[in-house]
Amino acid sequence: MFTLVIGGSASGKSEFAERHVLSLDGPRLYIATMEPFGVEAQARIARHRAARRDRGFETVDSYVNLTDLEIQKGANALLEDLGNLTANELFRPDGDVGRVVPGIEHLLARCRHMTVVTNEVFSGGKDYEGETLRYLRELAQINRVLAARADLVVEVVCGLPNLLKGEFL
Amino acid sequence: MIFVTGPLFAGKEEYICGALGWSPEEFRKHAVRDVQELPLSGDLDELADSLCRCAVVVATEVGGGVVPVDPVERERRERAGRLSCLLARRAETVIRVQCGLPQLLKGKFPGPGPELPQGGEGL
Repeated sequence: MFTLVIGGSASGKSEFAERHVLSLDGPRLYIATMEPFGVEAQARIARHRAARRDRGFETVDSYVNLTDLEIQKGANALLEDLGNLTANELFRPDGDVGRVVPGIEHLLARCRHMTVVTNEVFSGGKDYEGETLRYLRELAQINRVLAARADLVVEVVCGLPNLLKGEFL
Repeated sequence: MIFVTGPLFAGKEEYICGALGWSPEEFRKHAVRDVQELPLSGDLDELADSLCRCAVVVATEVGGGVVPVDPVERERRERAGRLSCLLARRAETVIRVQCGLPQLLKGKFPGPGPELPQGGEGL
C-alpha cells in the first residue's frame, strides 16, 4: 500500500505520517532525505533519530538516487520528504531529477507499506525566479504522478487529515 | 458556472478537461483561467458577475505565502482572494484540485455531456 501525505510547513504532516506508519505491523524504516548542514542541524537530526529508534524505526539517509538504495523487503517505510529529495536531485552536482519517481517505484516494489511526505509550497503565487519556479514545476509534477499512483492521498491541515483519495482502513 | 481552484501546477485545467471531456480548444472557448491575475482595479462584484458568463472559471490559490512587502502586490493578492470568494458564492459547483485530485467544496461533480454547464457563453 502506498500513502502520500501532503501539507504546508508546520501543518502536522510529519506527525500524521508517523502515526500512520506506527499503526502498521512489521519492521519500520525511516528514509531521511535532508542533508544536515551545520552542527545545529546535525544535533537536531541525531535527537530525532534517537526518538524514532525508541518508536521502532531504523533510519537510513539517502539524499539522491533512491534507485540504488537497498532496503529490507517487507518493511513499512516512511520517506521524508519529497521537497528535499527533489531539491537535491535538481540542484546537487550529482543529482538527476528524473530519478525521483523511479526511486519511489524502486522502494514500492520492496516495501509492504510506503508512506511519502511531500510539501504544499504552491499557494504563495508564482512570482519566483527561474530556478525556484523550475523547482515548483518539478515537485508539482512529481506530486501529481505519485498521487495518481497512491492508494491513499491525505492533505494535512492543522494536524487534521483531509482525505483526497482512498479510504482509511 | 463551475469554479475550479487549487495551488499552482496542481492540474486544474487537466482535471476539468478530463471531467467534461473537453479538448484544449473547447477549454479555451468555454473557460477562463488565471483569474487571480485579473482584478487590478474596478469593482470585484461586477467582475465576478461577468466571469459567471463562462462555463468554467479557474483561479490559482495565491494567498498562502507571507504577506508581500510591496503594497501593490499586497493589494493584488488581497483582491485575488476576495474575487475567489465572490466566484465561489456565485458558482453552482466549486472544486479544489490538489496533486491532480479533485475535491468537491460545493454542488456536485460535473460529468461529460452534450450540454454546457450553466453559463457557457464565453467572455
